[in-house]
Amino acid sequence: MTRRQFLDGALTIAGAAAGASLPIQLGTAAASPAPASRTPAGELKVSLPARIVALDPLGPLAAEEPVRIVAAHVFDSLVVRDMKTRQYLPSLATKWESPDPTTWVFTLRSGVKFHDGSPLGAKDVKASLERMLKLRGPFAPLWAAVDTVDAPNDGTVRIKTKTPLGTMLANASLLSIAPADKMEQAGFFNRPIGSGPFRVVSYRPDNELALEANPGYWGTPPGVRTLRFKDIPEVAARVTALITGEIDLTFALPPDQLAALGKQKAVQIVSTPSYRYYFIWMNIKREPFTDKRVRQAMVYALDIDTMVKTLMQGIARRMTSPIPTTVFGYSPQRPYAYDPRKAKELLAAAGRPNGFDATMIWNPDSGPQDRELAQAFISYWNAIGVRIKDGQAERPQWLDKLLKLDWDMDFQSNGVITGDADFVLRRLYTTSANRMGYASPTVDTLLNDAAATVDQNKRKLFYAQANEIIWDDAVGIYPFELVQAYVYRTGVEGFIPTPSFPTFASVTVKR
Amino acid sequence: MGSYLAGRLGYAVFVLWGAITIVFVTVRVVPGDPAQLMVGAQGTRQDVEALRHRFGLDRPLPAQYGSYLGEAARLNFGQSLRLEQPAVDAVAQRIPATALLALSAMALAVTASLPLGIVAAVARGSLLDRAVSVVSLVGQSVPNFWLGIMFILIFARTLRWLPSAGIGGLEHLILPAVSLALLVIGVLTRLVRSGLVDVIHEDYVRTAYAKGLALRSVIVRHALPNALIPVVTVAGLQLGHLLAGAVIVETVFAWPGVGRLLVDAISNRDYPVVQVAVLLITAGFILVNLLVDLSYAYLDPRIRYR
Repeated sequence: MTRRQFLDGALTIAGAAAGASLPIQLGTAAASPAPASRTPAGELKVSLPARIVALDPLGPLAAEEPVRIVAAHVFDSLVVRDMKTRQYLPSLATKWESPDPTTWVFTLRSGVKFHDGSPLGAKDVKASLERMLKLRGPFAPLWAAVDTVDAPNDGTVRIKTKTPLGTMLANASLLSIAPADKMEQAGFFNRPIGSGPFRVVSYRPDNELALEANPGYWGTPPGVRTLRFKDIPEVAARVTALITGEIDLTFALPPDQLAALGKQKAVQIVSTPSYRYYFIWMNIKREPFTDKRVRQAMVYALDIDTMVKTLMQGIARRMTSPIPTTVFGYSPQRPYAYDPRKAKELLAAAGRPNGFDATMIWNPDSGPQDRELAQAFISYWNAIGVRIKDGQAERPQWLDKLLKLDWDMDFQSNGVITGDADFVLRRLYTTSANRMGYASPTVDTLLNDAAATVDQNKRKLFYAQANEIIWDDAVGIYPFELVQAYVYRTGVEGFIPTPSFPTFASVTVKR
Repeated sequence: MGSYLAGRLGYAVFVLWGAITIVFVTVRVVPGDPAQLMVGAQGTRQDVEALRHRFGLDRPLPAQYGSYLGEAARLNFGQSLRLEQPAVDAVAQRIPATALLALSAMALAVTASLPLGIVAAVARGSLLDRAVSVVSLVGQSVPNFWLGIMFILIFARTLRWLPSAGIGGLEHLILPAVSLALLVIGVLTRLVRSGLVDVIHEDYVRTAYAKGLALRSVIVRHALPNALIPVVTVAGLQLGHLLAGAVIVETVFAWPGVGRLLVDAISNRDYPVVQVAVLLITAGFILVNLLVDLSYAYLDPRIRYR
């Protein structure tokens, strides 16, 4: 880690700590920008890196990136996370409070209407949360602590939890609100109605989703009148479409394509650290990874800085913690230097002077440069005498093995969808989660306490300790946090790069 | 003719049953679980089990198979596990795009391979013949995903004549249809050529020349119809090949067809969609084969179906 990177991390902590407030957080309506007088005009054509598989943000595919991106345009949530200040701002809820640690009361914005003109009220919030829990979608576990949801009046939602829920606001930012009386109708989510800045005009699966500006939107009107999501799976075709103007914006391109696009005049590239990161787990229940020295040796064997430069070329930064810098709960750790000699010494001390054999599973849909990285890791380990077999498998087979703990090592990427450390740390590293065989009562206590604490400053302290233990125990290897590079044509203005799930409501297009 | 068709129909039902059964078993035998894939890495064991129960995947395989066959007989092929619609709708929605692509490619391939094959056969052994052979061989061997990407780079990015992706007007159809057609042009050209070469020395052809007909009408009226039967047979069979090629071409050119749906359904273990897609492709294949067989009677009046 360079000094500069360390400072970045330190600033992040200071900033977030200063911003985090009392256990009772109060939002104010003034925090969201007053409706501007602009009239939406023109058209923005976007191609997402993955296909839009569904339009139901409460269903079983709710965590898929395209589903979330579309949801943020068609629907509103109670709160939104400001990506700059990392604070939760009012959206459908104008204020919220936690009168006691297991109760949250949200006051809804009045006068909000769905795209069909019907009013949005507390019963819609209740029904949306209940649908998500009923369908047992990917976000249902986030709400496991919820006891009751009720609507004392049309403008108030009260959520009671069995235990304090420290991630309430992060969770609420991912809960899209749909109309209670319509969302259970068959086919509703093929052309859904929300209250968001855009409404659905047409949806042709695998081809195009067309949205248009919602004239009755309560917030700032969107910049463009028409927003089209065009499905172009092949990277070469997507890059060509950007160059020829068939699309205006795309992201998640491989480094070689980015380098070529960097030379194009009509195209701009903006990058921002994302919620996604690569990691390698070692199965702590299997020899020889039961020995911490072996795990540390595996980390010391990797020249991560060189890989950042040569393989990732601007799409990743060296990671400095078990979670990315962008996430709530991040705290920087002491880096493992590239030191093959020390790695060999540690192996010898662990009684493995001649190395060992093991297999590393991964799937070819992991993320950018995954194949190149897997090969690079294997050759670095080979240099310290550890012979790792390439266990590439198709995603369904890989997932099956992963969850059954039927592996020596696992290489994959992961996204902290909620932007909160709880989503990755407690879900993965507690003894009961049993995802890589790690069992530390101290870490269990820290992570469970952090989840059940509403005071965000205290939560930060819990995560700081947990990060340090996980890092020093070398439970995994955390080489890269990915940088999201957005590429767009000249004329696209006002786009704000985000660590995940970009929104395009602020964008205007000049031609 | 009537009894012949009835026989073929019975045979078709048998083939369809076989296809259903093979696919039903295959998708379930390969590792990977749709419920687990949907819940992803964040869900709990209970979430996966609940989803498996909702999909009916917790029942014994023979029971699942029995009820699937029963429902399929009533043309109910179940709900897609991932898409919010019946599996058959998801596939049916995408059939027009694939049919348009495959039939355009076939039409292109036939239009190109007839003249190419004739020229090669008539001028057998010439430089022209060898050039046609080389071109058709290359067309057949070059992987069409590579060809597709090259087309995009040349015609969309560099020359900017044609769009790079998506479905729309005729200009959108050209690149995918040509990439797909090149897959079969080679085979068909070689068949037309060898078929003509075989008949060109037959007595009736010599007779046709002898009675003073021009080369053109000898070939088109007399030689070609006799060379066409294998060509039609293979063209029919190649339609299946085209559907396989469409899987790749559809992905490269963002063509919203059955091929892409099928690949996505397989990699997400969306059993109902895979099953009904394969079933419909099989049905299409059977239909094409039937049409091919019936066309023989037209091409060769000696053939009669009873």
